[in-house]
Amino acid sequence: MSDDIDHEGEHGGGPGEFDDAVLEEELRRAAAVLDPVPAHLRQLAVQAYALHDLDARVAELTFDSLLDALPVRGALDVPRMLTFQAGELTVDVEVTGDGLLGQVLPPQPAAVEVLHGPRPGARLVADDLGRFAGDAPPTGPFALRLRTGAEVVVTEWLRA
Amino acid sequence: MSTAAPPRPAPTARTGTGALPSTAYDCLPYTRGESVDRADVGTLVRSAVDGDAAAWKALVEGLSPLVWSVVRAHRLSDADGHEVYQTVWLRFAQHLGRIREPDKAGAWLASTARNECLKTLRSLSRLTVTSDPHLLDRVSEESTPEQSLLESEEAAEQSERVRRLWQEFEELGDRCRQLLRVLIASPPPSYQEVSAALGVAVGSIGPLRQRCLRRLRARLDAQGTR
Repeated sequence: MSDDIDHEGEHGGGPGEFDDAVLEEELRRAAAVLDPVPAHLRQLAVQAYALHDLDARVAELTFDSLLDALPVRGALDVPRMLTFQAGELTVDVEVTGDGLLGQVLPPQPAAVEVLHGPRPGARLVADDLGRFAGDAPPTGPFALRLRTGAEVVVTEWLRA
Repeated sequence: MSTAAPPRPAPTARTGTGALPSTAYDCLPYTRGESVDRADVGTLVRSAVDGDAAAWKALVEGLSPLVWSVVRAHRLSDADGHEVYQTVWLRFAQHLGRIREPDKAGAWLASTARNECLKTLRSLSRLTVTSDPHLLDRVSEESTPEQSLLESEEAAEQSERVRRLWQEFEELGDRCRQLLRVLIASPPPSYQEVSAALGVAVGSIGPLRQRCLRRLRARLDAQGTR
């Protein structure tokens, strides 16, 4: 069943490319009818444009415990550890069931907004040591927008 | 035998309804009017960077089905699939001005979608949550105008035919189902986009496509539906 491709023999005078194209087009139409992009998702994608922010610097995800850390044997509910980087600036984030904890490095104060979509998000404050905390864990796609003294940095969107 | 990186057959040769062996779709308001010509993608990206919201909307209309097909090809649950789809578009908006090759935005979206799908599958397996595969296989519940039409009395027969075709497609082995699901996005993706969506070498897509379509045809023939 998983190996369906390698066991099929080629029939000499079988249907040609024209028939393949016809069948593919039939399937394409069936997909458009039976498995279309849900309309509300399309709408969300259109709205995502409002979040396109030329002035902000993007902090790229450089560590994600989901991918980069070894699983802890038998441990459930392990906090998700994320690291984002934009030039010299690093943002460490820990997401647990209780909320999120963050650390801006080098340590500095910042206004932090938790974005979930085009609507304004929860506002947090990083103290002089760069620490910030939120009591609601992000759900679904989220990003952090940080306003430090000098610039605006937005972390790459990802799923909580 | 074709060689590496074959160009896709010209779309005009594949879209003429006259070429279809049945009239199953003649009454459907199927249109490719929303399609983005692939040559325009780079232009649309550059316009969207410059603040043209209509250009962004055209990108969404033209490339949404590709992103959706990647999500569906990986058989994520509805909840996971919807979040992956959203994440991909949010990230695309975020990176818009930094995409190095605007003409290849489709491949960028496809590969971002693939990475998010794989991440999701990995986190699921780590949690050893066994999802009910039957739940994952449902087709979208969203009703389209096309679907409503299908449900009318006169269209019952065509509807049955389309459903049987879809069922045989769903029951293909994993690799074929995955490959075809991306290939049949509308408008048809380039092989470069398919490669980005599935991590398959461009040169192997043509031969795989041929085998998978023939396998599907064999299933349909066995059913006596064609």
